[in-house]
Amino acid sequence: MEQNDTKQQHYESVYRADRWAKRFITAGGYGIIVSILAILLFLVYQSLPLGQNASLKHLLSYPVTDTGNQVLLTGSDSYMEIFYTLDQAGRLNFYHISDGSLVLAEKLPLGEGEKLLSAARGSLGRDVFAAGSDSGRVITAEISMTAVFSDSGRVIVPSLDIEETWTAESAGDSIPNHIEQLAFVQNEDLSRFWAWKDHVGNIHLRIYDADDEETYQHTLQDYFQNLTVTAMTLSHGGDNFIAGTQSGDLFWFKLDDFESPELKDTWKSTQNAISSLQYLLGDQALVIGDNQGAVESWFPVRTPANWLKFTQIHRFESHPAPVTQIYTSSRNRNFLTVDNKGNVKLHYATTGQTELNFRASDFPIQAAGLTPKSNGIIAVDGQRQFTLFQLNDPHPESTFQGLFGKVWYEGYPQPEFVWQSTGGSDEFEPKLSLIPLIFGTLKGTLYAMLFSVPIAIMAAIYVSQFSPHWLARAIKPTVEIMAALPSVVIGFLAGLYFSPLFEEYLMGFLSVFIFLPVVFILAVLIWRMVPEHHRTRLKPGTELALLIPVVSLAIAISIWLGPTIEAVFFGANFQQWIFTNLGVTYETRNSLVVGFALGFAVIPIIFTMAEDALTNVPESLSSASLALGASRWQTVRRVILPAASGGIFAATMLGLGRAVGETMIVLMATGNTPILDLNPFNGFRAMSACIAVEIPEAPVGGTLYRVLFFTALLLFVFTFVINTVSSMIGERLRKKYARF
Amino acid sequence: MVNIQEDIAVTTPTEPQEIPAAKPFLANERIVIETQRLDFYYNPEAHALKNINIQIPDKKVTAFIGPSGCGKSTLLRCFNRMNDLIAGAYLTGKVLIDGEDVYDSKIRLEELRKNVGMVFQKSNPFPMTIRENVTFGPKVNGITGKDELEEIVVSSLKQADLWREVKDRLDASALDLSGGQQQRLCIARTLANKPEIILMDEPASALDPISTGKIEETINELKKDYTIVIVTHNMQQAARISDYTAFMMLGEMVEMDSTKRIFTNPTVKMTEDYITGRFG
Repeated sequence: MEQNDTKQQHYESVYRADRWAKRFITAGGYGIIVSILAILLFLVYQSLPLGQNASLKHLLSYPVTDTGNQVLLTGSDSYMEIFYTLDQAGRLNFYHISDGSLVLAEKLPLGEGEKLLSAARGSLGRDVFAAGSDSGRVITAEISMTAVFSDSGRVIVPSLDIEETWTAESAGDSIPNHIEQLAFVQNEDLSRFWAWKDHVGNIHLRIYDADDEETYQHTLQDYFQNLTVTAMTLSHGGDNFIAGTQSGDLFWFKLDDFESPELKDTWKSTQNAISSLQYLLGDQALVIGDNQGAVESWFPVRTPANWLKFTQIHRFESHPAPVTQIYTSSRNRNFLTVDNKGNVKLHYATTGQTELNFRASDFPIQAAGLTPKSNGIIAVDGQRQFTLFQLNDPHPESTFQGLFGKVWYEGYPQPEFVWQSTGGSDEFEPKLSLIPLIFGTLKGTLYAMLFSVPIAIMAAIYVSQFSPHWLARAIKPTVEIMAALPSVVIGFLAGLYFSPLFEEYLMGFLSVFIFLPVVFILAVLIWRMVPEHHRTRLKPGTELALLIPVVSLAIAISIWLGPTIEAVFFGANFQQWIFTNLGVTYETRNSLVVGFALGFAVIPIIFTMAEDALTNVPESLSSASLALGASRWQTVRRVILPAASGGIFAATMLGLGRAVGETMIVLMATGNTPILDLNPFNGFRAMSACIAVEIPEAPVGGTLYRVLFFTALLLFVFTFVINTVSSMIGERLRKKYARF
Repeated sequence: MVNIQEDIAVTTPTEPQEIPAAKPFLANERIVIETQRLDFYYNPEAHALKNINIQIPDKKVTAFIGPSGCGKSTLLRCFNRMNDLIAGAYLTGKVLIDGEDVYDSKIRLEELRKNVGMVFQKSNPFPMTIRENVTFGPKVNGITGKDELEEIVVSSLKQADLWREVKDRLDASALDLSGGQQQRLCIARTLANKPEIILMDEPASALDPISTGKIEETINELKKDYTIVIVTHNMQQAARISDYTAFMMLGEMVEMDSTKRIFTNPTVKMTEDYITGRFG
């Protein structure tokens, strides 16, 4: 009985251990699946907002008090706490956005009965504006809304500074000069540019040069002859002036020389009257709105004759009524178009998309604008109703077309796939095409696989089938050490040591591809002339020792003959030759170097697995083949390779997966140039390297940040697909050939 | 490893006992395989065959019997030089097939093995179709004609008594056949090379009695056209199918005689002890 009890106890403890082991192992297995899913979900979560469309929320509307019938200008501070309106009577009022209460009332210095006819903001970053009156007076002033922090919180203190006031000369008739339309810009050097249309319809230009404090004045009417100018704009740098006419003609003036504006080009956009013109951030793209409601973007494109010509890039969703105003964002390529029926549309110039389309009011909108952070839209309508919308459009550039399609970027001769996420200034247009990155990854992988697959598989065949045991025992651990080499070391050696060396002996290295096979075949032919009984007496493994001088000889011949070949065939300078004849620039860190380096990292993986697969082919099969009179090579080719094909395929795919995901080597050994060119002599930028380079600099939550996460997701999907496909095909091959 | 001195030794009349005289029971046979002072070493410490002098007659079944590890398979593998694959192994002496030393450097290994076919203990069809298995040998030996290959497939499978069973599924995987069929396919595969000699290394040891019976029938059919050397553990099998039997023990050839005589009236006591089951 007692014995029974102890037996019972013994089995109890065995079962308990079993149960615990089972739980532990199951938990581990599920843990792996859960963590991979978690990574996937995190990547999806981070990149999902890219697909979000712009959205708008109506926050508040109320009538503005103490202002005249005609509001010419409106704007807000960057915290969206106060806004201002400038009316026809010159009253500049500041209000609290939250309740519409008056904060400050200012007045521009106008004469008795004098009315403002036009006003224009002159900078994207600052609230500097100019206003023109019916007596020819132009007042230039700057609004500042300064945030003051105190114990009670943040207070925005508005103020108005009149910068300068001058009066335009009379058109020569008795009526005082009317500033009917006004365009104004104050550039970064604080030089100011005014362009206006007087009541006769003449166009005038006034330039104040801040450097030498000189003022220049021009009348441009001669250029227009009898055409009526209906819209004008100045670029934010002040060096371009565009005027659009009743007939749809556009005139482009360069103002580089303050003393003589130069008419650069004229062109016709639509047949309709141009009703509104505006330069976008970056001073490249021009938005044209006409009196039929069409909205188009144009920018200068270099023609084959090296001549800049304004070209239509996008046509946006049209308005049902004439476009009256265009407001640009100070942060990106967003802009608002407003028609005279109260419709407002938000567009994004890079992608050509109209993101929002809404009715801000039932009455014509007199003044509107994007808030300084582009997170809100304000508008004042004909009933002096103020409306504020909250705008949520964090990633306008990341449409599907923007990420995967060709996009016509400013300054490019045609639509292209470009990755260039950051530029020198805030005005930079981000170019986030993922195609160059995907292409780069595939290109690096291609060259790595071209180099590594033959070597690794041949080596695996040699080691598993032909080499003597002692040699196999030496080679296998060596290759495993190769696998353990940190990729940063390989990248470092490839990028800093090998690539300059490669460049110096370029022709020599390239000739190796010719001389190695030639010398090798010669060596084999010579070897065959040795009497057979001498040959067979050789110990296996010696062939490797015999090959070393052969390979060394081939390399020596290549290096030695390299310059001669270069001189004879490539005019003594191969790099120059490929540039002039093939249009390819040679980069020191090129795809060949990466192919070698990445291949070096991939070889051990393919070799180890392929060698295993080949060794696992039962000896009985090779014996059967040999006993049937097949030679060693016939046996390998007809029996062993097919039987191991599943394993070799899996090995290659695993190597492929490694090459796709490899980061450090492609980062260090390429120039990281995101170009779409399969040429081996230039570099590429792989997805992995791009993530590594750019994620530290990408603002969290920004478009670049999310696009990089999306790239990571793509990489994840890539490797997932590669692994799945490889295991599926590998399984089929195994079922077909490897049932032993 | 054949050196000149040994060549002299074999032909020197001062050591007449070294030249194996034609055994009286083989007097009327044509000798196909002959070994002279054959010593085989897996490595210098493992002396697997000791001074084997054996003559194997044409178009007869010769069985090698003996306890495990006695060297009968090793001896068999000397005839088609399959032992070459073993690293570090070497031999001295001569193996003559049709009077030619197979270890001579002039011999083409592929030709030798085509001529001396082999069936292994464990059936080892290639993971290919039945047809591909049969045509493998002819193809690697340079036969490419489609009709010729087809002809070989049919005749080989017929000779191996497999044709009736597989004629409708020649393009099915060989691995779908039963164990006995697989082994007969291996025999057919060997026959496809049109060899002179077939070596069989315990061809039925892994099979059930019915399959074994079929293999034995096949062997009986084949001996009309082929010289068959079979290694077997199964003494009844040796008794049933062989014309001559050689008994080996610890790497030495103890006795060879007609099967009838070995099983009824062996000369050496050890043979009798083995046959009657006193050890084994």
